[in-house]
Order: sequence, then C-alpha cells, then structure tokens
Amino acid sequence: MKFGYEFIKGLWDENPTFRLVLGMCPTLAVTNAAMNGLSMGLATTFVLVGSNIMVSALKKVIPDEVRIPSYVIIIATFVTIADLALAAFFPEIYRVLGLFIPLIVVNCIILARAEAFAAKNSIGKSALDGLGMGFGFTWALTFLGIIREILGMGSVFGIKLFGEGFVSWIIFILPPGAFLTLGLILGLFNAVLGKKKKAQCS
Amino acid sequence: MMKNPIARLIIVLALISIGSGLFLALTYTYTIPHIEANAARDQEVAILETLPDAVSFEELKNTEFPIYVGLDSSGNEVGFAYVAEGGGFQGMIGLMVGVDPEQEIITGVKILSHSETPGLGARITEAVFLDQFAQKSISDNFIVKEDIDGVTGATFSSKSVSAILEQTLPKAVEQYRESGGGK
Amino acid sequence: MELLLLFISTVLINNFVLSRFLGICPFLGVSKKIEVAFSMGLAATFVMTLSAIATWLIQHYILMPFGMERFLQYGAFILVIASLVQFVEMFLKKTSPALYQSLGIFLPLITTNCAILGLALLSALNGYDLITSTVFGFGAGVGFTLAISSMAGLRENMEFGDVPEPFKGVPITLITAAIMSMAFMGFSGLISM
Repeated sequence: MKFGYEFIKGLWDENPTFRLVLGMCPTLAVTNAAMNGLSMGLATTFVLVGSNIMVSALKKVIPDEVRIPSYVIIIATFVTIADLALAAFFPEIYRVLGLFIPLIVVNCIILARAEAFAAKNSIGKSALDGLGMGFGFTWALTFLGIIREILGMGSVFGIKLFGEGFVSWIIFILPPGAFLTLGLILGLFNAVLGKKKKAQCS
Repeated sequence: MMKNPIARLIIVLALISIGSGLFLALTYTYTIPHIEANAARDQEVAILETLPDAVSFEELKNTEFPIYVGLDSSGNEVGFAYVAEGGGFQGMIGLMVGVDPEQEIITGVKILSHSETPGLGARITEAVFLDQFAQKSISDNFIVKEDIDGVTGATFSSKSVSAILEQTLPKAVEQYRESGGGK
Repeated sequence: MELLLLFISTVLINNFVLSRFLGICPFLGVSKKIEVAFSMGLAATFVMTLSAIATWLIQHYILMPFGMERFLQYGAFILVIASLVQFVEMFLKKTSPALYQSLGIFLPLITTNCAILGLALLSALNGYDLITSTVFGFGAGVGFTLAISSMAGLRENMEFGDVPEPFKGVPITLITAAIMSMAFMGFSGLISM
C-alpha cells in the first residue's frame, strides 16, 4: 500500500508539471507535438529513476557537505548515457529533442527528487518515486503535446485528424502557444482541484 | 581534527567522478560505432537520394567542401553531390545538393541538419518543399513564392534554403570541374 | 559588425526566455518586483558572461584535446558553472558587500538556471570562438534581463487587475509571457544570420 503510493502520487497528487510546477523549460520547449513530449518524458523518466536509485544507494557514503555536487555528477552521468543511447539507437528522436536532452541535467525535478526523496528513502521506494514522477511528467508533456499538435497542425502523433480544409492554428506550435497552453491548463487545474502550495526550486 | 572530514569529502567526490567517468567512457565506446554508423548511413542515403541515377559514390579529393561523385552501375559518372551550409532562421542549415553538371540542373536537395522552429521551419525537410528544386537549372534564382512555394508559416526558412543554393551552386560546379570531375 | 548582429539577435530575436525557453524557472519565480527582477537579471548576466568564457576554455583546452567532449561535456560544464557561481559569491562577499547584498541571494539560484548550461552547450554546438562566445553569453544575459524585468513591470501593474483566483500566480504569468513572446516574434527576420 505504502509502496504503491510512492508510484501513484507522481501521476496526480504531486504531478511535477501541473501540481509542483517544476521543470518548466522542457515542458514549454518540446511540447509542440505529442511524440516530442512523450520522448522527452521517457528520457527524463530514465534519468529520474537512475539518479534516484544511485543517490539512494550512496546516501550513507556521501557526506552532507558535498551532496549537491555529487548528485549533479550522478545526474549528468545518466543524462549523458540517455543522450548517447538516443543518438545511437533513436537518431530521429535525438534530432528533434536536440539541446533539451543535455538540459535534463538542470531540470529541477531531478535534483528536487534526489534531495527531497531519494536521499532519505530506500532504493526500492526511490525507484518507484522516480518512476511515478517520471510517468507523471511524461503524461503531462504528452497531454500538452497532443493539445498543441491538434490545434497547431491538426494531427496527433503525426496522424492527420481533419480533412484538407483544416486551417491549422500555427501559433500553438510556436513559443507563444507553449506559454498560452500551459498557462490555461494550469489555471484549469487550479480551478478544478484548488491551489496547491508550489515547491519552487531553481 | 579538520583533516579527516575534508579528506573524506575529497575522496568521495573523486570516487564518484572517477566512477562516472569510467562508466561514461564505457557507454561511449559501446555507442559510438552506432552513432558513427548512423551518420555514415544518413550521408549515404542523402547522397544517393539527391543523385537518383547513382548506385555508388566516391569523394573528390582536395576540395574546399565535401563533393561526392555519383556513379551508376557500370561505373560512369552521373553527377555530383555536395554539402552546402548557410544561415537559417535560428541557426545553420546544412544541405546535400545533387547536381547534373552536363545538363546543368539540380537533381535533388536534402536537408542534413538544421535548427529551425519545430513544426514550422523544420518542415523544409519535407519532400513537398524540397522536390520543387529538382530539375531546376543551376543558374536559377529560386525565388520563393515565384519559382518555389515556400513552407507555410516559414517563409524565412524557405528563403534561406533558396539563398544557400543560389550562393553555393556556382562555386560547387567550379570546384567539381577543377578537381577533374566530368570529362 | 557580425558580433553586433549576433548580440542583437541573441537579445531580441532568439531571446533565451521567450523563444528558446531557457531560464523559465527564475522568469516565473523572481518576476514580482522590478528591482528584484532587475538584480536577478544583472547577476545572471554576470555569471552568463563569465561561464561563456570558462566553459569555452574547458571545451577547447581540456575536453577537446583529449577527445572527451562527447561524453564528459555535460558533467564538466555543470560543475564549472557551479564552481564559478560559488567563486563569484565568495569574491563579491569579500570585495563588495554592497553588491553582494543586492545580488548575493540570487547567485545560488543561478546554478540550476538552465539558461547558463544551455548557453554553454549552444556556443559549443555552434563552434563559436572565444570572443563570439563571450558576446553570445553577454547578449543572452541582457536578453534574460530584458525579459524578466519587463515581465516584472507587467506583473506589478497586474496586482491591481482582477485576475480570477485560479489563474493568480504562475498561470497568468504564463499567459502574459505568451503575449510578450508574440510581441518578440515581431523581431524575427529582422536580421538574417
């Protein structure tokens, strides 16, 4: 029961995007299409789970004074692995996400989970926490990607939904659309679920 | 008294860094052949796609930028492809351009790299746009909206592709001829 | 001339915050008061210019000679940036307590500002030389300052507006950012690079 919650909470109650409002840079930057959001979410999940496990495993060894640099090295290691693996096996996705793969290093979700959760909990719980948060992030990004892709290109995952007559609302796949969509959705979430105290990191 | 904790800090950090470095070096040696193979395959596909009559190619030596001579199945030259680069909307655009030097026409254009706006400028990679350049004379001006239909919402990126072609084509043909291509 | 064009295009056209989505966290978090936002911008500009130089040196004198730029780059850059921020903080504390008072509290926040790592990676990716990198770093900082200060100016005025309760805070800031970003799009195509 307790274990299950560590996974579930990231999906909804403590959703990193909609409830904690963390990791806004990739959220805005790569959600112009559903596929991009999904790939970015999965890459981040990989790094989250990896770094949570490592941080939790090493929590007794790492002295408090150097914990942040240590976490950063661990996170950078997993990000580089994800980067190399994507470049080697998924060159198409790698090309689209480009610069935002290395920027997972400074995604506050990851450092925040290492600090706030993995450094205090067992390996198993930390892995579940990472997985839950990662999937929470993934569905949020995919959801935003779907909305923006439908409005901006008239398609979902590259499949055209409307006939020839559809005039796409290009602004939604441009930077302003990113801000607008996220702003409206966040507002809607607040309206429906009530405001939640935000965890600010960077 | 102070020495021990500080020594421990340094040792732990050093060990983590070394571990990370080793692990990454391993991942790197494992993935780099794939990454290089991807790049090589992309290049091969790009060259052969821009030279529809070619089945193989070889690189010309002593040129300022890469030029590949396309060969048909009996080893005859069918044209050449070259790599061009120029500024786009947000960053550099890299192109592979296939040319038939005898008829002085473009045989194909392909985007190798770009950092244009996803969903807009990035659509310059689509065949609908690029195929328009095929069969056009190398002395064409490729004016967007007249000779070429630009990508909707990405006139700037479309114009950039045209400009790169216009600027690099004469130079490429000259280089090709000087390096002993053709007859 | 080319440097000037790069500077202008980094500030206005490819503005780090509004068109590249780098440095969003402080943009949303520290944009309530103009003075505070401006100080944050100054601190970030300072660190960005310095880290553009530092990461360039690391890239060209340590990573590239040993062929490690492909797999140690991210770790090396982020550590350099973190140490640089720490160093600047200590230096300011010693030499200029007044400046430290106004900028000091923002310095630790800057380490995880993705604009700085993004800047270092972009300038390595584009193969800029040292001077171009420095101008790029400075321009990125100025662009960040411009975006965050103007956002703070708008938000100060919005205090008196009747924003629906659920939209207060981050959502309305994002919607405002959307309009700002649209305005900044007017600059695109101003300079063809």
